[in-house]
Amino acid sequence: MRSGKLLRISQVGLRGIVGEGLTAAHVIDFSSAFGTFLEPTGPVLIARDPRTSGCMIREGVLAALLACGHRVLDLGIASTPILQHAIHRNKAAGGISIGASHNVAEWNALKFFGQGGTYLSTAEANELLDIYHLRKFRYCGFESVGKAEPLPNALDSYLDELASVFDFDAIRPLRVLVDCCNGTSAPILRRLNDRHGFSFILINERAQGSGFAHDPLITAETLEFQLAPLIKPLKADVGFLFDVDSDRVGMATESGQALSEEWMLPLLAEYFLPKLEAKLVITNLSTTMLVDEVAQRHGGTVLRVPVGRQAAIDALATYRPEQIALAGEGTGAVMLPQFRFVYDGIASMLAVLSMMATRKQTLSELVRGYSEYHMRKAQLPLTTTRVPAMLSELRARLGGGRANLVDGLRVDWPDRWIHIRVSQTEPVVRVIAEQRGAPPDELFDSVLSFVRSFA
Amino acid sequence: MKSREHLLKVGVSGIRGVVGEFLTPSLACALGHAFGTYVGRGPVVVGRDTRRTGPMLQSAVHCGLLAAGCQVIDIGIAPTPTIQIYTQSIRARGGIAITASHNTAEYNALKLFNAAGLFFNNYERSELIDLWHQSDFYQATNREIQTVTQHLGRAPAIHMDRVLKHVDIEGIRSRRFRVAVDGVNGASSLMTPEFLSGRLNCELHPINCDPTQPFPRDPEPRPEVLGDLTRLVCETGAEVGFAHDPDGDRLAVVDETGRVLDNDDVLVMAVRAALEREPGPVVVNLTTTAAIDDVARQFGVPVYRTPVGEANVVEGIASARARIGGEGTGGGVIFPAVHLCRDSYTAMAFLLQSLLTKGCSMSQLADSLPRYFRHLGKVTYRHGTLGPLMQRLEQRFPDAEIDRTDGLKLVWPDRWIHVRSSNTEPLLRLAAEAKDEQVANDLYRQVQDALADSA
Repeated sequence: MRSGKLLRISQVGLRGIVGEGLTAAHVIDFSSAFGTFLEPTGPVLIARDPRTSGCMIREGVLAALLACGHRVLDLGIASTPILQHAIHRNKAAGGISIGASHNVAEWNALKFFGQGGTYLSTAEANELLDIYHLRKFRYCGFESVGKAEPLPNALDSYLDELASVFDFDAIRPLRVLVDCCNGTSAPILRRLNDRHGFSFILINERAQGSGFAHDPLITAETLEFQLAPLIKPLKADVGFLFDVDSDRVGMATESGQALSEEWMLPLLAEYFLPKLEAKLVITNLSTTMLVDEVAQRHGGTVLRVPVGRQAAIDALATYRPEQIALAGEGTGAVMLPQFRFVYDGIASMLAVLSMMATRKQTLSELVRGYSEYHMRKAQLPLTTTRVPAMLSELRARLGGGRANLVDGLRVDWPDRWIHIRVSQTEPVVRVIAEQRGAPPDELFDSVLSFVRSFA
Repeated sequence: MKSREHLLKVGVSGIRGVVGEFLTPSLACALGHAFGTYVGRGPVVVGRDTRRTGPMLQSAVHCGLLAAGCQVIDIGIAPTPTIQIYTQSIRARGGIAITASHNTAEYNALKLFNAAGLFFNNYERSELIDLWHQSDFYQATNREIQTVTQHLGRAPAIHMDRVLKHVDIEGIRSRRFRVAVDGVNGASSLMTPEFLSGRLNCELHPINCDPTQPFPRDPEPRPEVLGDLTRLVCETGAEVGFAHDPDGDRLAVVDETGRVLDNDDVLVMAVRAALEREPGPVVVNLTTTAAIDDVARQFGVPVYRTPVGEANVVEGIASARARIGGEGTGGGVIFPAVHLCRDSYTAMAFLLQSLLTKGCSMSQLADSLPRYFRHLGKVTYRHGTLGPLMQRLEQRFPDAEIDRTDGLKLVWPDRWIHVRSSNTEPLLRLAAEAKDEQVANDLYRQVQDALADSA
């Protein structure tokens, strides 16, 4: 059997390697399911990232939506957040984003959005999957087949919305380096330069369909070796690195120090919690406990949900919007209080820049003054079928801590925690541990060797 | 027995069906994918008529072609002959026309052309259908996938240039014919005004030349539905009126008195115009009028007859190296010096050329043809009784010369009748012809009675 998956159809949509896994037929059928699922309360919006396969997938998506009688507005190449903002603004019935985010160029995916530009809830996503599997699509008669037209100016309208929230004048003087990873952040930042007088220094700016300048995943390596070394030579005040889809973002300080993507959520919590009535921060079980420290400082509460966007979306829906300050992941994808329907790396970046400008501090000054946390992450091949037995034995061994069984096993002690879970996307066991003051080596290594030896 | 309705038909020229329930985007995409796999990675021309379902099906076809690694050359709204000619002239791998030709608006169809711009022959078609049934598609990877390129405007220009090489452009231009046109809001809506007014300097009186509007009449240009055009001809004093079908391969002609000319007569006039410029063999189907033989005799050239169907006539023309050919009933003129396709533009050009050369009116031109009377009709039969029916008919008319190439044709020196079964329904199509109207009607009735007796 081949290692690695070629196609995955799940609650978060359709994702696969184009040709080998994800085919034209999948695109047509899944989009037809979405066209059947959506009530025609307004137009349906579509956008894609610059992958070559995007033009093939776009045609299939278009055909299916038109056949289901929807009026389609096409944004062309645009980031997922621009699409979500446009759905929100145009009172659309929903939308489809074509793009595989942080996956390499051979992959592509469809992501689905409902009214208001929100992600589908688990119930909605399940209904969509049922329609797909049933393959009873609601194609309309020839007289009501939909029509498609381009939606121009979606980028400018999006920037206007950002401008109404952030003080562009205050952040304009900052000298900001951005690695766009040949993705959808590039045209946004270029437009901020041209239309709003910013002076972002852009690298890997050119849209590329058949391969990216480097691994599109934001990792310690991409931050440390791609972004950080350029800061000092270019005399930048700060640096950002986006994934292709520009929802995830990592940073580097003015002195060329890489800041892990885990920093984004605590930093934004530090900025927003004092300003807001809302005190709730929603994040997942694998995110740094620095969030808890920041929240504590400003009277906030941290709600930890299972890993994966879907759990966060369901959690968001169970609170009143005015209760929620922030939602975010350790990947750097954060939902800001002003736009409670979208994880947007560009907005996160502007928030960080605003923070620097209003506090008149550098990024390294901003992150100073917190406890030092050390995180270790590993993934091991899943070799056992007795996952529950493994987790309950681990729980017994780690008896001293407070256990949480919502998503695998997480055990907390006052100064450290460990989270052991089976990935939803790959046959691997993920182990993450964090400790204040020193690396959690002893805890981490003992759990790793237990998982390895468990049969 | 009630004849069955064919809401989806995989047939001679591609697939045709009622859009929505039967002709779905997945079917169109799969056929595009099979077609792309069959013709190989390279350019494929795609065009369509003006049906509301056209853009949806075109996107689905694009999706399949791109998934097979083809480059899509989108020529937008274009007559079928224009698509065929462009496919050949840019050396594409093949072409697809999205049009249900003269069928009503709820239908649409995909017509498939090979690299020469010819309809797929039997061998090509069955190979393609096998590929389709096996879902044995080439799956292009992200690196191999190509794009959709729009070539708008170029294809009509090439088509018109080719046609106009064969007439006296300057003569026609300076004669400034007054011409009325009914474009049925179809694929010819923009090209025909350009052709007649722009290229041939006619004083044009167009109706139904808005490609954004639905078909204003039954799309098949039968005399009964051409009331608007005949009125227009009379009101404007036009010397001739032309009516298109939605994809611009068929042509109906109205003379200056408002009379809709017989399709067979139009073919005979076009044949005569072609032979006057340069004689050569003529190929028509078995149902076409004997007037063709009379005209050919004047020029001392042979007439070859083929089974009914454009593909058969085209094959006949190619193998006989004929000068011109066509099918009377279908209203189609095929002039291989332009292209081996049914082309209303060649027909229009030849008719104007004849009016110029003869210096007479359209009605005089029509009346100068050898006079025959035809009686056409249909008779239903039960599945499984066709063989005995045909045998009994043969026995009933032992004195007739018999041609069994396509159904049964009984020929006498002064009359003939052709009985053939429809490809799509349990129907016999009857065509009787004689110099004398009474003889034609009697012959038709005798055969009709004979069929009724045996059934």
